[in-house]
Amino acid sequence: MHSDLTPSDRRQIPAPVRALIVVALLYLFLVGVKMLEGGIKGLGSEYTDAVFASVSSPIAALLAGILATVLVQSSSVTTATIVGLVASGVLSVEAAVPMIMGANIGTTVTNTLVSLTHVRHSTEFSRAFSAATMHDFFNFLAVIIFLPLELLTGFLSTSAAWIAGLFTGAGGGGGDFDSPIKAAVKWGAGVIERIPEAIAASETIGAVLVLVLGIGIIFLTLGLITKNMRLLVAERIERTLNAALAKSGLIGMAVGLLITMSVQSSSITTSILIPLCAAGVLAVRNAYPITLGANIGTTITALLAALGAGSIDGLTIAFTHTLFNLAGILLLYPIPRIRFIPVVLAEKLADLAQRRRTLAIAYVLAAFAGIPLLGILIF
Amino acid sequence: MVLQFFRSSGHDPIEEIEAILVGMLRDAHVVYQTATEAVFGAGKSKEAKATVKGTDKQINRGQEQVRQMLMVHGAVQGNLGTDLPVMLAYMSVVKDVERVGDYAKNLYDLARYGADLTVGPDADRLEETRSSVGAMIDEAADIFESVDLDAARSFLARGDDFLDRCDDEVKAAHASQGAVSDAVARALFYRFEKRIAAHLMNLVSSLVLPVDELDYYDEDKDDR
Repeated sequence: MHSDLTPSDRRQIPAPVRALIVVALLYLFLVGVKMLEGGIKGLGSEYTDAVFASVSSPIAALLAGILATVLVQSSSVTTATIVGLVASGVLSVEAAVPMIMGANIGTTVTNTLVSLTHVRHSTEFSRAFSAATMHDFFNFLAVIIFLPLELLTGFLSTSAAWIAGLFTGAGGGGGDFDSPIKAAVKWGAGVIERIPEAIAASETIGAVLVLVLGIGIIFLTLGLITKNMRLLVAERIERTLNAALAKSGLIGMAVGLLITMSVQSSSITTSILIPLCAAGVLAVRNAYPITLGANIGTTITALLAALGAGSIDGLTIAFTHTLFNLAGILLLYPIPRIRFIPVVLAEKLADLAQRRRTLAIAYVLAAFAGIPLLGILIF
Repeated sequence: MVLQFFRSSGHDPIEEIEAILVGMLRDAHVVYQTATEAVFGAGKSKEAKATVKGTDKQINRGQEQVRQMLMVHGAVQGNLGTDLPVMLAYMSVVKDVERVGDYAKNLYDLARYGADLTVGPDADRLEETRSSVGAMIDEAADIFESVDLDAARSFLARGDDFLDRCDDEVKAAHASQGAVSDAVARALFYRFEKRIAAHLMNLVSSLVLPVDELDYYDEDKDDR
């Protein structure tokens, strides 16, 4: 029964090879974003204006962000796509901000669904459900506070544009920036785009094929990056989590940030926490800062996508995502009296759901499907 | 702590758990040595009590750590595949190692009650039993650490004979005509030694038996 397998036996593919695979996948991911951007540009202004009009209401854009993320089960895919849309000019930064906020909410559905697997064991379920929904409540609160503020003042997007300007030296205000990554990505995208363009009957069909292929590549590569990175860093994640179990605060946040940045998925990080909280090995309040760290860590994907797209607006929306999550933490976390409001709300909901399990299902359906769908129809 | 993420330990998490289990056994040996020295003439003392209690707490902490690490391993790995049997086995045997510490601590209680097992016609047999179990704790740790399957089978075969001898000694204590306090001390001593040996056998059996057959060595042969 003793473990006879070495770590490399378990991994099967040697770590350096897997690391190279991840680098190749990252490149392909950036190519996918570039193709998405190119495909949209190829469709022409008639189509892009229609898309822009459909999300002109911030509420509709927020709900679209939630729904899109719930459907693809990955905020990374949604935010990378949004970066591509902004880079192509079909979406303005202002219109994309609520979508990014929606993606933040939508991504929490994964760990909430994971928590439902504990439904048969009452106490376990209560802990698992509160660990999952504290992420929901934190993101709900952040949107409730920052979306109106952003709409009134534009403070997030303005600050993000300023930071983007610092990075590109362009001083903000749109346009493109050059980088070796962008040039390499443009070349790769050009090579792949030739295939659909060659077989398509018209330019519009060619653009649609490039667009669909771009989205497919984003979806596929992000999934594979997450899978490979998880295998590559699983032992590091384990060791760090073992050391962080009894810790809270900034250390937990840093742990959440690191794990999420390395696996490119906040859902992986937060879903790992659910069974630990369910078993009582990790206190829900100690899982809270790890979750908040994951919220920031997940913004790395959009930043990477923006580097590939090479658009200042794309980089601005990626930084807006990071700033939004940072602002949420800076507002809610430092003051002890309000720090645990999301946890308390989650515990109250878990308490109700423990007594009436159907409430948990109803909550998931309403928060992540019913309300967004209805809202899109109304707004 | 955060820097740990960037450092490579060079060890598989399961190997780290195995190292903790071996460390717990080494600690259990310290408790056993200290406790039996007390009951074999040295008597109770503040120092001995502090060593026994403190080391036992350390063993308990090791058990918690192993359970936590197994939970984290399961949560992080997701698709457990080859690790599931070993995880279930370690979840079971960590309890055995913790019990070795507990029974060794119980031996110290005999010294607290005033028992001295160096006095009496059976003193040699008592001393032999004491040193046998002390050696068994070390042997079990070595076998587990080196994954020596032949040594594990030999340990289990010898262990069964030892359990039978302990039962015979308990029966003899019950039938003895001497002082009640001596009979009680001997019955408890052999009982505790038998339990320690049985839990060590449970641990060692995890190397050679499937998960569903673990955890029966602390029962009589006929009841397994």
